[in-house]
Amino acid sequence: MMKNAVQCRSLVVVRGDREVLHGIDCALVTGSVTGLLGPSGCGKTTLIRAIVGLQAKVTGDVEVLGLPAGSPKLRGRIGYVTQEPSVYGDLTVTENLRFFAAVLGVSADDVDRVIDAVDLGTHATARVDQLSGGQRSRASLAAALLGNPELLVLDEPTVGLDPVLRRDLWDLFHRLAADGATLLVSSHVMDEASRCDRLLLMRDGDLLADDTPADLLAAAGTADIEQAFLTLIDRKTGAR
Amino acid sequence: MLGSYRAELIKLRKRSAVWVLFGAGLVLSLIFGYVLPYVSYLTGDDNPQTTGVPRAEVLRGLLPERVLDNTIGGFPVFAGALSLVLGAIVVGGEYTWGTLKTVLTQRPGRISVLGGQLLGLFTMVAVWVLGIFVACALSSLGIAAAEGGAMNWPGPLEIVEALAGGWLVLTMWCLAGAVLAVAFRNVALPIGLGVVWILGIETLLAGVVSSLLPDLEVLSDALPGANAGALVFSVTGMVAADAPPGVRDAVGGGRALATLVAYSVVFVALAAYTTRRRDIV
Repeated sequence: MMKNAVQCRSLVVVRGDREVLHGIDCALVTGSVTGLLGPSGCGKTTLIRAIVGLQAKVTGDVEVLGLPAGSPKLRGRIGYVTQEPSVYGDLTVTENLRFFAAVLGVSADDVDRVIDAVDLGTHATARVDQLSGGQRSRASLAAALLGNPELLVLDEPTVGLDPVLRRDLWDLFHRLAADGATLLVSSHVMDEASRCDRLLLMRDGDLLADDTPADLLAAAGTADIEQAFLTLIDRKTGAR
Repeated sequence: MLGSYRAELIKLRKRSAVWVLFGAGLVLSLIFGYVLPYVSYLTGDDNPQTTGVPRAEVLRGLLPERVLDNTIGGFPVFAGALSLVLGAIVVGGEYTWGTLKTVLTQRPGRISVLGGQLLGLFTMVAVWVLGIFVACALSSLGIAAAEGGAMNWPGPLEIVEALAGGWLVLTMWCLAGAVLAVAFRNVALPIGLGVVWILGIETLLAGVVSSLLPDLEVLSDALPGANAGALVFSVTGMVAADAPPGVRDAVGGGRALATLVAYSVVFVALAAYTTRRRDIV
């Protein structure tokens, strides 16, 4: 039986006086790449924040690597990349990573490994604010890879990247999964769905589907994920 | 917390903004402490700035015996403002760069991260104070050698006392910048509010209270700037007539010390409480 790295049960999140997640049930299989897809504003980042333990006003169960989300024991076992690059613009890539390595208590040798992993070797001594958007995103990803976390949560890591870089990053994600890591990768670009082992489709704070791409297409009876997404919405609307 | 502290030192050492602020503080100390007075000494009676002040007295203020006055005399106001900017930039920068979310999701706890940041700032402020002292000491040494002045240095205990007092003044202002940055999750607003407070509001309040509302002196004497100035006045033992702006004997040295420590503790506690309790955005 496959083990789940993350298990959400009846997850509800309230922000202000508005409920933004309405009872989400989902699971991330250990050693898989799961895509979290849906239009902007559908609640992807809120779900991610609940999983990494940064979200307030969460009810329901969120279990991460066998512990409640946000548990201090999870620190160091989770790598999180936010939508905006979360590195210091006035430091170089290497200086940034040395900083994060020291914060995390990870060996400084790991810095070279993660720079190679995200293919930033030629820009290691460049200041981050002089890099392109894609390079900054990769610098952010490198920080999350320090210390080989068991769960990597990546919030729209491929936004603004050219097709070659996107392909390279997805290859990297699958290599990390093959080594045992579990990845949750959010995107609002539906054509990235085919690169995932499993998909979570969201809309307006609800989970429309939690399935493999092939099973999702079969269930919707469509040829592409975008069409499947629309079909699921139509079915849900019709069922109301 | 040790890892966060080491990480903070790595970061602070590499940030150009930190060294620009340190350089500005040092250059301003030298300009107001040595360059302008020395020029006025050299131009002698022709200089209207020194009218009524004997030249020998102007020179005396530049010699090693007054090095502590010149080192920390500017700390309550202009160096304090720069220190507040330092605290706001370093702590507020975590929100503007978006790095706090990443750091807090991973290994250390929130208080460890904040503690490491504050310890890093305390260390850098100490380096800054020592740097200004060395620059002032070299300047006074050079002027004494050039003018044949006396080489009477303050005693080691006096030096330690004055530098520690100066460090506390700058640390208190730095913490004020840090707590404002945590409160506003920003850099620009804390700098604006803090600098207006130090350079304008405190001086204005002191002026209004002393001339129009003497009964409220008890309140104006409790303000951080008044106590910073009183501590510097006390540890340097300078003459009131020679005191730079913001340095005056508003309260006794012991009370000023206790008040600055109290402000620092309150600022740390507020920053810790807010960081611990508030949602990360």
